[in-house]
Amino acid sequence: MTTMTFLTFILAFLMFVAGGRNGIYSFFSLVINFFLLFITIILIAGGVPAIGVSFFSGVCILAITIYMGNSEGSEADIAFIATILVMVIMLLLIIPFEHLAQVQGFSNEDSEEIEAFNLAIGVNFESIMISAAVLSTLGAIAEAAIAIASGLQEIIEQKPEIELSDLRRSGRNIGKQIMGMTFNTLFFGMFGGNLALFILLYKLQATFGYYLNSKIFVGETMLVLYASIAVIMIIWITSELMVHKLAKQRNR
Amino acid sequence: MKVKKKDFIKGMLIVLSGCLLYLFVVNDAFLYKQPILKITRVKNSKTDKIVDEFKNRDQQTSQIITGKILNGNEQGKSFEVHNTYTWSRGMDQRFYTGQQVFVNIYQKGKGKTISISHYKRDTYLLMLCWLTLMLLFIVMRSDGLRSIVSVILNFVLFLIVVQIDVMWNITSFFWIYAISAVIFTALTLMLVIGWNKQCLVTFIAIFFGTAMALLLTVAAMWLTKDKGMHYEALDFATQAPKQLFLSASVIGLLGTVMDAATDIVSTLFELKRSQPGISFKKLFNSGRQVGKKIMGPLINVLLLIFFAETFTLAVLYFRTGNSFGYTFEWTMSLGLVQAVISGIGITLVIPSASFLAAVALRGSSR
Repeated sequence: MTTMTFLTFILAFLMFVAGGRNGIYSFFSLVINFFLLFITIILIAGGVPAIGVSFFSGVCILAITIYMGNSEGSEADIAFIATILVMVIMLLLIIPFEHLAQVQGFSNEDSEEIEAFNLAIGVNFESIMISAAVLSTLGAIAEAAIAIASGLQEIIEQKPEIELSDLRRSGRNIGKQIMGMTFNTLFFGMFGGNLALFILLYKLQATFGYYLNSKIFVGETMLVLYASIAVIMIIWITSELMVHKLAKQRNR
Repeated sequence: MKVKKKDFIKGMLIVLSGCLLYLFVVNDAFLYKQPILKITRVKNSKTDKIVDEFKNRDQQTSQIITGKILNGNEQGKSFEVHNTYTWSRGMDQRFYTGQQVFVNIYQKGKGKTISISHYKRDTYLLMLCWLTLMLLFIVMRSDGLRSIVSVILNFVLFLIVVQIDVMWNITSFFWIYAISAVIFTALTLMLVIGWNKQCLVTFIAIFFGTAMALLLTVAAMWLTKDKGMHYEALDFATQAPKQLFLSASVIGLLGTVMDAATDIVSTLFELKRSQPGISFKKLFNSGRQVGKKIMGPLINVLLLIFFAETFTLAVLYFRTGNSFGYTFEWTMSLGLVQAVISGIGITLVIPSASFLAAVALRGSSR
């Protein structure tokens, strides 16, 4: 048995212990998401337009993460609509920025790894980078959308006569806590993912100016910034949609 | 009406600050030592079709770029340089008039020639930073500030730790990262929660969760004799790859475990505040309920982040005739293992955070 299979079994077992049947559901939603991502890469490599495929699999991943968790009912619908809206906004933001910053493909630091390859392989590396950037934000926004929608739903249930402005403020309060911690997840994820790169750049005695302009560092930092922007947007949009829903219910 | 006027002024200030920052960064060549060339004319020559041994069709175009140097000793002088780009732009790039590039200037005989070093990207990076900060300010007001401070502090600390690692150059550098992980945790928690009992409980839970997850991982690696773990596939590795992988895992693990632990502990402290008489068992179960809900989405965050990093490389492998299994093993498996390790950390921190918080809160009620 490979180390990965063994560790995956440990994870499945621990998820079952920690969450019972829900734990198993969560585990399978992760497995499905993994296969969706794998198929996405295969399709892109096969020449299907990258952004289109990623948009489609992004919608699937969001639906699976939101509905296969234990959220149900109207707040899950709101979380889903909010995440789709944010995904579209992020696409509109990421496409021009990736085009301007030209961080696609590989950088000089990568050269050892890809030495053996001929890079003229007839795929649009820019759109691959755009797809990767959009997909990488989806996990964080799905988590935040669920947390805010279910948190506000609970407040509405406990205090049905709550003022709309108070509800909006509560949304911001919940959002504040989520954001602080999600930023940590994202940034530590980036530090962890790029530890070797940071060590290498330090050994090369890169200057501050080099950091600000190098393809790989700018590319990685932009990924984290996109995710941060997406999280801020989802907090705002989910709260507004919940407030809107409550206002509509009252008018009836 | 007054409030609206204030909002209008604020909006104008935000837009103005963006314009000023843009103008500054576009014209910041004087801050750099390396010469920067501003492209004034681009002449594309004819495009060649190329086909590789895997029948991948691509196109290659060469261009002649003329431009003026913006800074340094050669400021104001014009140069000409060649560039080739492919349709797929894997490692090259098509240049347009108006763009700025870093160049190297060489003495060649009597005259001087230049070569393109890299593209100037600072404008876009800083504009995106600005956009993030402004959105944070608009949506969160001053509350967003604290999270930014903690992120910046952690980043500076992280750079210092990398520096220590490179300077000391010890064989078991894993411990540098392990100890710094403990410091990261303490610092972040104190900034986000403040120095109190809740902070201490969260800290112990995180420490326990991370350490146990790591022990389990190392044990699993030892039991399976690292089968299928291609540490040599780790990008940019300049130090012992296995230790580097574990160090990176600890840091990645920390963020999510911190996220889960803070969620659980703060919910339980809030519960105790609203229902002072709540029992130990009820507290423990509520903690597990919270954990159950956040577990899946949190692991998903990492899965997507790690996976997105492999996109470009995986496509390259697939297009050059490698099988699914081989591509998976060499481009994705390490990232996936990192996500799985973080998942194990999250599942372990759920019971430990619930238990510790329940114990701490019971003690205070006596």
